[in-house]
Amino acid sequence: MSIPFAHMLFLATLLFVMGAVCAMTRRNLIMILIGVEIMLNASGIAFVAGSMRWQEFQGQVMTLFVMTAAAAEIAVALALIVCVQRRTGSINANRYNLLKG
Amino acid sequence: MTFFDIIFYITASVVVSSTALAITRKNAVHAVCFIVISFMGTAILFYLLGAPLLAALEVIIYAGGIMVLFVFVIMMTKMEKPPVVKSSLSSQWIPAVILGSTCIIMAGILVFSDSGKWLSPPAVTGTPKDFGIVLFQDYWLAVEIASFLLLMAMIGALYLGRRKAYDPPEEKIQEKNVI
Amino acid sequence: MNTVLFLLLAFPLTGALILALTGRFLSQRAVQTVACASVIAAFILALTAFLLSGHSAQTVNLGLWFAAGSFHVDIDLYYDSLSALMTLIVTFVSSLVHIYSTAYMRAEGDNVRYFCFLNLFVFAMLVIATAGNLVFIYLGWEIVGLCSYSLIGFWYSKPGTADAGRKAFIATRLADVAFGTAIALCWTDLNQLSVAGINDGASSLSSGTAAMIGFLLLFAAIGKSAQLPLSIWLPDAMAGPTPVSALIHAATMVTAGVYLLMRFFPVIQCSQTVLLAISLVGVMTVCFGAFSALVQRDIKRILAYSTISQVGYMFLALGAQDLAGSMFHLITHAFFKALLFLGAGCIIKALHEEHDIFRMSGLRKRLPLMFWLFMAGTLSLGAFPLTGGFFSKDRILLSVFLQPDIHFRILWVIASIAAMITPLYAFRMFFVIFYGKPEADSNKNAPIQDLMTITLWPLAILSIFAGFINFPLNWGGSLWLDGFLQTIPGAAAETHPSSQLEWTMQAGFALMTLTMVILAWVLYSREQESDELSGTPMTEAFQRFFLNGFYLDHFYQERIVIPYRNLSVFLWKKVDEGLIDDGLDRKAVFFMKLAERLRLWTTGQISDYVSFLVAGFVMILGCLTALWWFK
Repeated sequence: MSIPFAHMLFLATLLFVMGAVCAMTRRNLIMILIGVEIMLNASGIAFVAGSMRWQEFQGQVMTLFVMTAAAAEIAVALALIVCVQRRTGSINANRYNLLKG
Repeated sequence: MTFFDIIFYITASVVVSSTALAITRKNAVHAVCFIVISFMGTAILFYLLGAPLLAALEVIIYAGGIMVLFVFVIMMTKMEKPPVVKSSLSSQWIPAVILGSTCIIMAGILVFSDSGKWLSPPAVTGTPKDFGIVLFQDYWLAVEIASFLLLMAMIGALYLGRRKAYDPPEEKIQEKNVI
Repeated sequence: MNTVLFLLLAFPLTGALILALTGRFLSQRAVQTVACASVIAAFILALTAFLLSGHSAQTVNLGLWFAAGSFHVDIDLYYDSLSALMTLIVTFVSSLVHIYSTAYMRAEGDNVRYFCFLNLFVFAMLVIATAGNLVFIYLGWEIVGLCSYSLIGFWYSKPGTADAGRKAFIATRLADVAFGTAIALCWTDLNQLSVAGINDGASSLSSGTAAMIGFLLLFAAIGKSAQLPLSIWLPDAMAGPTPVSALIHAATMVTAGVYLLMRFFPVIQCSQTVLLAISLVGVMTVCFGAFSALVQRDIKRILAYSTISQVGYMFLALGAQDLAGSMFHLITHAFFKALLFLGAGCIIKALHEEHDIFRMSGLRKRLPLMFWLFMAGTLSLGAFPLTGGFFSKDRILLSVFLQPDIHFRILWVIASIAAMITPLYAFRMFFVIFYGKPEADSNKNAPIQDLMTITLWPLAILSIFAGFINFPLNWGGSLWLDGFLQTIPGAAAETHPSSQLEWTMQAGFALMTLTMVILAWVLYSREQESDELSGTPMTEAFQRFFLNGFYLDHFYQERIVIPYRNLSVFLWKKVDEGLIDDGLDRKAVFFMKLAERLRLWTTGQISDYVSFLVAGFVMILGCLTALWWFK
């Protein structure tokens, strides 16, 4: 297999931007989280490609930690969503603007 | 162009298109389904790039664990009909598209000007055994920290998920008054 | 001797402290007793010290006050014949004034404050008289100013009283700046502060420095003694109680300036310019005071201007290098001016706070005792032949005449003219008060307490006979005062005039005085209807000019106070409020407006925050791209 490293990175970038766009545009809290997941996943692809490129394990190890962090983050975030939904009955991000200056 | 190359590009296009579909779905359940497809494709990519263990973990944790969690939460939260906000098109999508395209263009410039680096075949790199040796010999401290992180996340999720955690304070005050 | 001097200072200070700390718990009688006892004890001690001391100077060190590096100030006393005389006069007059005050202040409230400050004043005055170094003198000098300020404004609720106090305070502080500078100069140039050390080192000073120190001391003395440029505060200081005017603003404090110059006479003598300046200030003030006193209507203001004028004579004598003559006049002046003020206090009390001499006429029958006592004071002030004032003033004029410098002849002529005015205004006051038609309702005068008149007797006797302490040679006298002050540095050089010249001077002077008394009799003993200014427009203008003290107040108001206030208002309104405050306000408003705009960014919307995050990421990426691209 001989793929340019650049293609892998470009794929990762594409996925990352898609995740970011999702997080930016959607109002649904769950969809925002899905966007974040996509971004994390994209970073994982970039790490694994780097690991291949330099023939080192660090990239893969880092991907593992990214996955761990993602799992932890999602667990807490989803618990928060459930909580919030229980209190206000809505998961529309626009309704949570208590921090408005 | 070898067989693996073809598989790579096909998988990559599947990943990109399913992700694109996922982020545009109105229904969250549909979005989750497409995301699962995207993650499956990512697992194939990982395998092709010489990380079979990560490919397995991707399927188990992301596609299996996290996405199922999403589905559960979607079930638990009785989804309200999202309000029809047409104006959000201009105020949300335009900056998002501008930023996203700028990002992609600049990344493309950066990425493709670095020519001539080709990924070599996945000879023997990344058997789970080697990976484990490296992980637990060189990165044991990070593993410990990550495990702590998971523990904390679990405790936090448990606390937040308690039914009584967010009792409205008014009720307590009323009880006190009664006493 | 050391103990005596220590106790001399300690008694009045203790009295003041007792009154300040426990005065509010004491009865009025106890307060008065404590105050009088401490001052009378001080007088007895001063007398003891006077009798014990020989002619030589004594120094007493009571300990270290403070030290910083090589600069250290002791609490030390320097007691020579000059301080012996000064302590005697101060304690004597203040004892009498204290006793007088017990009667005078009986009906007034707040005796504690009054007597506390009076005792403190006596202490501070004794410090000035006996202190052995400049800083210690400065301490006394400032406390004296403080007491003067507090006692002028004693009836602070009366309109204008507090202002008069403040005026005195500011005018004297102005001079104290000069004193402080003089102290600094003495330290830097002579490296010492003790009185003896400075006087010994005076000859080693360069003429410029000596003149500088001399001028600074002169300016300090001018402020305290109300001489010409700074004389404005003394007439207003009469707003205080009359005994205070007698003690502080006539007999003692205003002579502190003269005393300061005497104390550092060797330094003064170094520069002929300073001597000339002193006599010039003196002679100008003599004329100023005499002419202003001539037309005043308020009895206390007459006496105040007269004080200014008489202290001018002391300056003149110092300028003519006649230290003993200056001291002589200081002593006689202390007696007769204290007598006149205390007598005026009696009259004012008797007539229910009446100050205008034209409303007092014909008091000879109503207050016969006061008539004789006041006459003694007036005779001495007017230099009537054979009284104390006559001999001291004659002595000064003679010394000025004997100065070889031609300038002093001119000064002598002017001073002699002013000496003619003195009996005129003195007897004008006297005749207007005691002669003329008595007022119709003559029974209304309040009784004068015996205690008040008793204290006047010693003063009256001394006013008349004080001349005997320095009886001129041609009268067979021995010039006791000259001999006593022989040891004071700079006091010696005295060229004795020929007997013939002395006779001539005295005869001429006596003739002049008698003429003026008769003139005053002719002008003022008749029916006085001249409530308003009268005469031709020319004389009226002069009268108005003199009445307002040469418009000196007006001049200061116009040329200094108002421009200064305008400058302050300009700095306040334009610079402080306009430039500094407004500039800050504008900056604050700018940032507030900016913050109002920036506030809109915190929408509280998660998606917006994510957008900002991504925007930041894109910017970083842009920077990286640009860096890479242009490398």
